[in-house]
Formats: sequence, structure tokens, C-alpha cells
Amino acid sequence: MTLLLVILIPFLGALIPPLVIRSGRNTCAAATGAVTLLALALLLSHAPAVFSGAVPMAGVAWVPSRGLSLSVFADGLGFFFAAMILAIGLLVIVYARFYLSREDPMGRFFAYLLLFQGAMVGAVLSDNVIALLVFWELTSLTSFLLIGFWTKRAEARQGARMALVITGGGGLALIAGLLLVAQAAGSYQLTDILARGEMVRASPLYLPALALVLTGAFTKSAQFPFHFWLPHAMAAPTPVSAYLHSATMVKAGVFLLARLWPVLAGTDAWFLIVAPVGLATMLLGAAIALFRNDLKGLLAYSTVSHLGLMTMLLGLGTPMAAVAAVFHVINHATFKAALFMSAGIVDHEAGTRDIRRLGGLMALMPITGTLALIAAASMAGVPLFNGFLSKEMMLEEAAHTSYLGLDFLFPVLATVAAVFSVAYAARFAIGTFLGPARHDYPHHPHDSPLGVWLPVAVLVVPVIAIGLFPAPVAGPLVALTAGAVIGGPLPDYHLVLWHGITPALLMSLLAFAGGAALVLAFRRADGVRARLPRLDAKTMFELATGALVVACRRSLGALHDGALTRYMGVTVATLVAVGGYGFWSATHGAGTRPLLPVTAPAVTTFLALVLASGAVLLFHGERLTALILTGVVGVVVALAFLQFSAPDLALTQISVDVVTTILMLLALNLLPKATPREESRAVRWRDGTVAGLAGLGVAGLAYAVLTRDGTSISDYYLAQSKPGGGGTNVVNVILVDFRGYDTFAEIIVLGIAALAIYALLDPTLKGAAVRRIKAMLPRVESQDAHPLLLVVATRVLLPLSLVVGAYIFLRGHNEPGGGFVAGLVVAIALIMQYIASGYGWAAERMKVDSQSMIGAGVAIAGLTGIAAFAFGRPFLTSTFGYLHWPVVGTFEVASAMAFDLGVFLTVVGVMVLSLAQLSRVARRIDPAPEGKDAMDVPLERAASGATGREG
Amino acid sequence: MTAPLDHMTILPVILPAMAAAFLVLALRHHLKRQRIVSIGVTLLLVGIAAFLLAQASDGTVRAYRLGDWPAPYGITLVLDRLSATLLLLTALLALCVVVYAAGGVDGRGRHFHPLFQFQLMGINGAFLTGDVFNLFVFFEVMLIASYGLMLHGGGPGRLKAGFQYVAINLLASVVFLVGVGLIYAVTGTLNMADLAVKVPQVAEADAGLLKAGALLLFLVFATKAALVPLHWWLPATYAGTSAPAAALVMIMTKVGAYAIIRIYGLVFGAGAGPLALAAAPFVVPAALVTLVVGAIGLVGSRTLRDLSAFAVIASMGTLLVAIGLFDAPGLSAGLYYLVHSTLAGAALFLIAGLVQEQRGAASDRLVPAPAMAGETLLGGLFFLAAVALVGLPPLSGFLGKVMILEATQAATIWPWIWGSSSPRASS
Amino acid sequence: MELLVAAAIGILTTVGIYLILRAHTFPVILGLTFLSYAVNVFLFAMGRLAIDRPPVISPDAAGYTDPLPQALVLTAIVISFGMTALIVVLALRGYLETGSDHSTLDVPRRTDAGGGA
Repeated sequence: MTLLLVILIPFLGALIPPLVIRSGRNTCAAATGAVTLLALALLLSHAPAVFSGAVPMAGVAWVPSRGLSLSVFADGLGFFFAAMILAIGLLVIVYARFYLSREDPMGRFFAYLLLFQGAMVGAVLSDNVIALLVFWELTSLTSFLLIGFWTKRAEARQGARMALVITGGGGLALIAGLLLVAQAAGSYQLTDILARGEMVRASPLYLPALALVLTGAFTKSAQFPFHFWLPHAMAAPTPVSAYLHSATMVKAGVFLLARLWPVLAGTDAWFLIVAPVGLATMLLGAAIALFRNDLKGLLAYSTVSHLGLMTMLLGLGTPMAAVAAVFHVINHATFKAALFMSAGIVDHEAGTRDIRRLGGLMALMPITGTLALIAAASMAGVPLFNGFLSKEMMLEEAAHTSYLGLDFLFPVLATVAAVFSVAYAARFAIGTFLGPARHDYPHHPHDSPLGVWLPVAVLVVPVIAIGLFPAPVAGPLVALTAGAVIGGPLPDYHLVLWHGITPALLMSLLAFAGGAALVLAFRRADGVRARLPRLDAKTMFELATGALVVACRRSLGALHDGALTRYMGVTVATLVAVGGYGFWSATHGAGTRPLLPVTAPAVTTFLALVLASGAVLLFHGERLTALILTGVVGVVVALAFLQFSAPDLALTQISVDVVTTILMLLALNLLPKATPREESRAVRWRDGTVAGLAGLGVAGLAYAVLTRDGTSISDYYLAQSKPGGGGTNVVNVILVDFRGYDTFAEIIVLGIAALAIYALLDPTLKGAAVRRIKAMLPRVESQDAHPLLLVVATRVLLPLSLVVGAYIFLRGHNEPGGGFVAGLVVAIALIMQYIASGYGWAAERMKVDSQSMIGAGVAIAGLTGIAAFAFGRPFLTSTFGYLHWPVVGTFEVASAMAFDLGVFLTVVGVMVLSLAQLSRVARRIDPAPEGKDAMDVPLERAASGATGREG
Repeated sequence: MTAPLDHMTILPVILPAMAAAFLVLALRHHLKRQRIVSIGVTLLLVGIAAFLLAQASDGTVRAYRLGDWPAPYGITLVLDRLSATLLLLTALLALCVVVYAAGGVDGRGRHFHPLFQFQLMGINGAFLTGDVFNLFVFFEVMLIASYGLMLHGGGPGRLKAGFQYVAINLLASVVFLVGVGLIYAVTGTLNMADLAVKVPQVAEADAGLLKAGALLLFLVFATKAALVPLHWWLPATYAGTSAPAAALVMIMTKVGAYAIIRIYGLVFGAGAGPLALAAAPFVVPAALVTLVVGAIGLVGSRTLRDLSAFAVIASMGTLLVAIGLFDAPGLSAGLYYLVHSTLAGAALFLIAGLVQEQRGAASDRLVPAPAMAGETLLGGLFFLAAVALVGLPPLSGFLGKVMILEATQAATIWPWIWGSSSPRASS
Repeated sequence: MELLVAAAIGILTTVGIYLILRAHTFPVILGLTFLSYAVNVFLFAMGRLAIDRPPVISPDAAGYTDPLPQALVLTAIVISFGMTALIVVLALRGYLETGSDHSTLDVPRRTDAGGGA
């Protein structure tokens, strides 16, 4: 389990730095260091086991059904990488403590760093590929935060973004690739997959998997042609560069290639792709590095070059090359981290990283100078330092490599790359530290405090130690790691300084000679380079992104033009097409049901409908006419319901129709009275065609249903209505009992509508809205007082309609009627009071607030349903009994009636609230007090539409 | 008799409904007390949903017969792992939203908390119901409450976007009824389980009608799920509303997806005889187009809000690619992605809302503006949410192997966006 | 008779769809009203047509028409009323605030370049 903790500790520890930063920068750095140290110690506690050949494992199941587990294993490769990540991390933390200035938020920096560290360790120790992918993407994300740490700098943001886009995008390819690998191997566990290399290589998925995995690895390790993000990531603070670009982030790609080496390597495809990509990267990186004037830029391209070197070695596919690759990973990590840190010190002390403004620093800062010179020598491959050994091995391997029959390609190009690498290392060393001291540095450089150069010194120790005594110092580690990479017996290799006169030695000598010549002739070479056409990857990247954004904006603008007509048109067309397809793509046959005879009243009603609808179609520009005609159509529909044995429906339809029409009249009052005709004839014909097709379709479907028989569950309702539901009006019993749940939700819809309407109309109108209404007011003033007759009539009607409402309500369970219709009747009577006598008068006399009524209605309906719980029955279970009322007689009283009462209250509340609100929209801006006497106040603006001249 | 604990099934519906009624009735003028009740009820819902999920995790399907009527005559609620998961997801999301809203958004207009609770009732009801017509009713509850929430606080842009939203959804409601009507006319039942029995036995002469109904119904769900070309309502609506409402509406797109799983996975699933997998030929192609449109929108957006909206469209595309497979791995992949993308998407909206409030005149346009308080936190949060929505491995990783390849092709464009937006958000 | 009913549904639908394709809010609302009429009759018709057979239990009834679609239509009518009321108020408030009852949303121009990098 401690292995899991190695991953968890950095993640959890990331919380600490921001918390303790108040206690000072030293505490903060110490806490961060302690976290890393703890993780490292835990990891190293496994060292004896690992070196003895065991593979410690740990894991917890996460989503077992999906093959997901958080399992880790530390074989040689994972152990080595994790140790390297944590150890160099520790040095970077020390270095960063002294590097970061007081203005930099150190707590945040260390938090990011620990998150990144955790992600890296997680990625190299994961056993489950999914977990590996998660950690992999996390490294991309956390490195984004680190690279963009100085958020105020544009180049930091751009660099971070580019890094994220390239590595994150590559990560997505890797997801697909690793899943394919897992598919081919039949397991998500790396330990299984590693053992089933044959299976994967034989699978038809091998090639796509390989391509995708390589895309992921190449982007991460900045391989050509994805190399351009890495130098721009140098905008990061130097500790970040030292960490990310020597030992961790960019090595992740190399790690992945090594991890999957036993599975994917060894085929022609692997060799043909990976080896030349590595070679090209090595060459290109080295060549560009030579001409960089920025120290960090030079080191960045050098890193690109060395990553290419490792990739090439792994790409060769031979065990010997793999050993060389592993060895170089170790060596590169040490000298490159040291160099980055040195560059940071120089930058800090001299105030510039420009190689042309530096030189002669050796005299001023001897400690840093010495350390940097050693590291640079190692980078150049000078004997006695560790870089020499792995480089020799690389050259040796390259010398034996023949690519597609070209025997000279690899040896020659590898040597050329070596020439460049000697040259840039020399330029770095000479240009910065050697030569005469200058006096025009922006700052006055001198050696930094111990804390800054100590990490560099620590890194330089292995550079020399391995260089002198390779076998005793690095032998066991190389054997362990390489053994894990190869997954089989190690080849016969010797980590020694002197191999005799080998091709590699000759190539090395050639490289030193060429490198020296190149340094001497640098100015001329630089002149040649300056005349070569340059492709600035960053500009191209920005251009490409910009073009993409513009293209997307254009197509988006063309697609979403904000026109409802288009949205509706596309939707309707889709409906017609898919609906039509549905019908025609399945079997269908003619119906056999006997048809009802056509009657004269039916034909008359139908003709009325046709006329009214046709008139609406033609004259919908005249809004009032269209509205009245729509109301007429509603009445016709109600008549149709009545004709076809649906009295409840007819009753509801007609009352809803009345309320809807009143509502729309009130609204129309404040809306334009006519719709301008803007569409061209062609557009109207197009819309007409679409509408006609839709109409034909629906009519056809309806006719098809009407002409065939069918069975349904309704017989049960007819049979159970009286004995089970206690009512003879089956429709009402369905509404309040069988499907009372529907009705419960339905009254809530109404309630919500009223609340929303209230919320919409309640706020006082301001600005433009006020001017608009005022512009309409003169017409209002022309109206006289409330018509006396209307006022009297509504007053008389009110008690009458209350009685009628009660009657309709009570008989609803057995005869057509019920709470809903009763509610509408009462509500209409109440609304008439508002309209006839004015809002103020009516509101004052309205004893019950309409919002409370809605709340109470919903509450009563709900409580009726909940009451069933007490009897151990489900929600809305009803019961009924008989009640003897003295005058009215014997009533069947169902608990469903209480439910219906809720319906009734809600409906009244909703209607009154929404219509009353609508009727006083104009009043929201007109605070003039209204007369108390309803008979002589000016007729309310809003009411005139419903009752005035037009209505 | 029903055991007392069985009533827990109905609580996610009636508890918020009764709470909303109580808020309207008794606490209309006390915003602070409304907040307390609303948050309390939402917390309770989280607990109830967690209990229900624990109960459902044994794999059995529990039916709750409303009114004690036998199925298929009464309305039945269905509690299984799928519905319970979504209930819990809704409750968790709602908790975040209500706490966010209690920070002040709820005071900008009337009746935020009652509308919010009604909205929860609608969503929960839609997840629980086992009856197609009842599904329609709860869709309407959910929609009308969302209109109310969406308009909360007003503003001319919101009003027009709201009109479009309502109009398009009203059209969808009409089509819903046509679809349900056809299904009832042919099968004579509304209960989903009963339908699953009767649909395979459809007479040859009636199959065309049933299929037309099934596909029309599918288009309704596709509209809710913002599947191209029925996605029009989403960007404008989302961009024009308050952050908490937009975040909550996140889950409504998922209701559409859920309905597709329920109806087209079960009723018209592989075992539906002549109508087997009726909607399947449309889902995956449309989902892929949705993904592309979402990606284009992401790259082309000018505001964080727009960006979030198109991220939702893209994620719906991904989700429906998985669901459209109509097999067990696709379904569980989809479910996993659903949970994740809902939370991530909602987080995006909430954060975009915070950014908008902090930045004043620059609003949420993607232009550099003066630094704002808490920039690191907000930028970081937005970054996390965006990244999560774009799809960290475990999520998209579950998609079928071919699907992931297709999905990744479109998905590789996504990082451009969060790459370009996140640094700006905090710049 | 069946043909008449089906034709009526078709006409109502045609008028409704044509109106919702208009660019102003008021015709769209009228169109939605027409569509709701159409769908109410359609849903009702799914129980087939019968004359003089209301589903009210009585000993001397000759038979009953299918009550379920009627109940469903009742629910649908109520719901569509709520929706219509809301959309009417929305259109009204929108007009008062913007001075236009055009339903097209002002989309910010997305075609100009810049801001992407």
C-alpha cells in the first residue's frame, strides 16, 4: 500500500504550501521538500525488493465492472523513473526557494509543482492503462499551470497554451491508442499487456494502435514535427524548465516508448517510424540549438535533440540500443537539470540570458562556472563525464544500423548531429563563462548563496562519478531498468570508458573536430543560417489557430442567425421527413373499422372550421380579427368534442377558450395591432408547402387510426370507476384517481405558469417600456368611466357563478364537471369584477390572495395524496364513503374530492393572478391613485380591449 | 400494504412540490427563510436520493403504484439503478445551484425558490415515471419551471431568447402528444413495461403507425437533448439566462437523453420485433454531427457563456454517440459520461456567472480585462471544469473502441478552446 | 365522418404550422394555439369516434367511448393553457422592453476576425 501513498502524498501535500506560506517562504519550501522527501523515502523502502527482482504491486478496485482499478506496480523502469522524478524534484524545490522572487506567489507555485509531481509519479507507476491515461493528461494540465505561472506575461500564456494544445491533443490520441492496445491484449493491466506482446503485434489493431500511441509519445517528448512547443515553454520560471525539460514531462514520452517497448517494438513498422523520427529530431534540435542566443532556448533545443537521441535508440528495436537509451535517460537528466539551473543562476545574476551579452563569467562566479562547464562537457560527450558513455553507445548502435538498405544514413546523420551538439555545448560554455570578463552586464554578477548552487553541485556529482566509474555507480540501476524495458534477458554490454578503437570512437573524434571547426566558423555559419528561409513554428501555430477561430465564427454566424423562423422551419421539416420515413419504412395496411355516417350538422360545423381557419390564414396580419376567429375555431372544436361523446372535454374546451381569448385580448391591447407582411411570395409559398405537408401527414395518420379497431386498457376504467373509484363520470375518476398523479402535476404546471407570469410582470417598468406605454395612453383616456351596466351585471353574476361553480364541482365525480371547470367558472366571474370595476376596487375586496390560493391548492392536493401513507397505501390512494347532507341528500364523498378541491383552488388562483396581473400592466408605470368608487374612474386601459369597442 | 420505506420512492417528487407550495403560501416575503427551507429541502433530497440509490444498487427494479392501482392501469414509478443515479445527480447539482443562488441571484426577481423546487419536482418526476403520458406531464412541469427560472431577473435579451425557447418547446410538446397518441392508438396502453410487451406483437398493418409515432417521439427527446438539427434553442437560451438557471437546465438536456435510453433502449429496443431499434439509425449520425457543431461553436464563441453552451452541445453529442449504440457497454459508458458531463457543464456555467459578475463592463467576453478578485481561483475552477468537460480519459475512455476513434477525431479540436479561453479568463 | 375529423385536424395543423413560421410573435402564438387545437382533437381521435356514448356510467347506456384519451386531452388542454398564458406574457414584456415584436434574436456578429489567438 505504501506504493499508492507515493502517488497520493504529493497530491495531498499540494494543499500544504498555500496554507503554510503565511509562515514564511522557508517554511513553505521546507514543507514542500518534506512532502517530496516522504514520498521518495516510501518509494526507496521498496528498493531492496525491486533490486532483488521482485515487482511490488498495490491497488484498489475503482469501477471493477469497467476494468478500472487504481493499481500500481514498481518494476525496474517505473521505480527508476519515479525515483528520478522525486529526487530531481527535491533539488528543484531547494533551487526554487532561492530562485523565486518575493513577488512570486510561492505557495501556489509549490502547490502546482507537487500536483505535477504526483501526476508524473502516477503515470510512471500505473499498472492500469486507464489510470495511466488519467495521470498522463494530468501532467499535461499541471504543466500548463506551471508553464503559465507568470500569468501576466503574454509569452507565458501563449507558451503554456501551445504546450497544452500539443501535449493534450496528443494525449487524446494516446487514449485511443492505449485502449486499442488494451483491446488487443484483452486486459487493461499493463502487467498483463506486457506479457502479451505477441498477441498485440499479431492483432489487426496493431498498426492503428501504434500510430496513435506514437502520436501521444511524440507530442509529449517534442519529437519532430511536434517539437516546436518545447522551446516556447521556456517562458516558464527556470525551476520549472529544469524540472519539466530534463527529467520529467518530456521524458514521459520516452518513458511510454520504453514501457511499451516489449509490446510494440520489434516490428518493421516500429523501426521504420520511430528510428527516423528520433534521428530527425536529434539532428534538427542540435542544429537549431547552435544558433540560439538565449541560454534557455539553446538548452531547450538541446533537450529536443537529446530526446530525439533516446527515441531513436528505442526505435532501433534492439536490446542493446534499449540499454543505451536507458543509460542516456539517466545521464541526460543529471547534466541537463544542472545546466538549466546554471542558466537560471546566470540569468539571475547577470540580468540577461543572451549569450551575446555574456562571457567571462568564470572569473566572477567560479563555483557556478565550474559546475556548468562540467555539465556542458558531459552534454558535449567529453570523455570522463557520463554523457560520453551513453553517446558512445548511441554512435555504436547507429553505426550498425541500415535503414531501408541505406547503410550510411544513420551513421552519417548521427555523426552530424554529434558535431552540432559538440558545437552548441562549446558555444554555451565559451560564450557564457570563458573569455575575458566584461563590464557591461545589466547586473553585477557574483556567486549565489549556497542554496542555489548546491542542487547544481549535487547533480554534477553523478555526472563525474558515472563518467569515471560507470559500472560500479550506474551498473545496477541500468541493469534493473533496462531489464524491465526489454522484458527479457539483458544483452551482453559493458559500461566502461575504453572499448578500444571502435567505429563509435572514430565518429566521436570526428564530432569533436567538426564541432571545434563549427565554433571557430560560427559567424560564417550563422550568416548561412540567416539566409535560409525560416519557418517560425509559433507564428504558424498562431496563424492556424486564428484562421480556425475565424472560420468557426463564420460558419456559426451563418448557422445560428438568431431567426426563430429558421429554427422552426428546420424543426418542422425534420419532423415531417422523419415521421414520413417512420411510416413508410414499416409495414402498413388499410383499416377495416366501419365508418360513421356523415350528418348535416357535422358538415356545417366542418365548413365553419374551414372558413374560420382559412380566414385566419389569409388575414392573420389583422391581429384582432385573427384572434376572434381563433376563438371561433376553439368553439368549433368544443362542439366536435360534444358531438363525439366527450361532454367534459367540451365544457373544459369552451371555458379555457374564453379565458385564453380574454388573456390574449388584454395582451393585444399593448401590442401592435397589425403584423406587417415582410416575407416575399416565395418564402410564403415555401412555408405554405411545409405546413401543408405537415397537415397532410397528421391528417393521414389520424385517418389511418380512425379507420381501424384496437384494444386498450380502458375497459378496466369503465369497470372499476364506480366500484373502485366511487364515481360514475369515468373521465373525472381517471383524472382525480386512476391518473390523479397526472393531474397533481398538471395543476402545478398551472401554478408555475402563474408564478412565472407574476415574476415577469411584477417588476416596475422602466425606461423604454414606460415611453411606449405612455405613447399609447391618449387612446386610453378617450374611454369613459366603467360602464354602469357591466359593473352591475358582474356584481350580480358573482354570487350566481359561485353557486354554479360549487354545483359543477360537487357533481363532477358523477356527471361532467369537476374541480377544474368549476375553478374556471368562478375565476371568470372574479376576473369580470377586475375588468368591470377596475383593479384597485376589486383587489381591495378580494379577501383571499391569489398566490396563497395557488399554494394552498397545491398543498391540499398533495396532502390528500400523502394522507394515504397513514393507511400504508401509496401516494394518492383514494377512499370514499357516503355522506348525508340535510338538504342536498345523500352524497358519495370520495377522498378524491379533497384532491379536486386542491385543483379548484389552484385554478382559481392561477386565473385570477395571471389575468389580474395582465390587466394592470399599464398601471405599473402609472402610480396616480385610483378612485375608490368603481363607478366613476376612467375605464382601465387594459380592460378596454376585452370589453370596449373592439370586443 | 406498502412498507413505510417504500414511500421514499415518491418523496423526490412530492417533497419539493410541497416545499414550493409552502414557500408560496407562508414565506413569500421572507427571502432568508426561503433560502433556509430551500437549501434544507435540497439537502434532504440528496439524502433521499442516496438512500434510493443504495436501495436500487442490488439490481432489482422497484415499482411504486400510485393510487394503489395495478399496472398498467394506474401510473407506476420505476426505481432502478438508472433512475436512482440520475436522482442523486440531480440532487447534488441542485444543492450546488441553490447554494450559489442564495448568494444573491435569487433576490433579483420573484419566486426563485418556489420555481426552483417545482423544477426539481419536474426533473425527478421525469426520471421516476414509468408511464409515457406521465412523462409528458412532467416534461411540462420541468419546462415551465425552467422558463420561470430562466427569465429570472429579466432583461430584453432574455425575453426574446425565452420566447424562442418556449415556442420551440411548445412545438415539441405538440409533437410529443402526437407520438404518444399514435402509440396508444396502436397498443392501447401507456405503461412503459406494458408497452415493451405489446410493441413486439404489433400487427403488420399497424406497424407503420407505431413506427411513425415512435420516431416523432424520438424527435421530441432529441430536441430536449439538443441533438442537431434540433438544438437551436440551446445556445441563445443558455447564453441569455442567469447562471444557476443555466446550470440547472444542464440536467434537462440529460432528461432528453434519459428518455431516449428508456424508450428506445427498452420499449423499442433490440427485442421489439419489427420495430427493433427504431431510432438507432438516426442517433449516432446525428450525434456525430452534433459533436462537430459543438466543436465549431466552441471555437467560434466570443463569450464564456456561449462557450459553455456549445461545450454542452458537444458533450451531448458525445453522450448520444455512446447511447446510440444501444448495447450494454455503450449504455454504461453513456451513463458514466452523463453524470460527469452534467456536473462539469454545470460548474462551467456557474463559474462563467461568477466571472461575468466580477468583470463588470467586459462581462464575459473573451478579451483581457483588468484583473479581478479571486482570479486565480476562478480561472483555475473554469480551467478544471472545461478540462473535465472536454473529456479526461476515464470518461470518454469508456466509449466503444471504434466510437472513441471517431469521437476523438472531433475531440482533438476541443483543446484549442480551453487553451485559448482559460488563460484569458484569468488574465 | 372520420374523413371530416381527419381533414379538420389536417387543416388546423396546416394553419398552425404556417403561422409559427412567421417572424412576429403574435402570429406565432396564434399558430401554437391552432396546433394545440389540432393535437387535442388528434389525441382525442386516438380513442376512435363514437356518438352518444359518453363515458358516464349509467344502467341504460348502450356503451361507452374510450374515456382515457379524453382524460389525457383534458390534461393537455390545461397544460397548454398554462403555456399559452406564459408565452403571451413573454411576448408582451419583450415587446415593451425592446419596442419590436419580431421574434429574431439579435446575435452578436460572429463573422469578424480577431480575438482567437
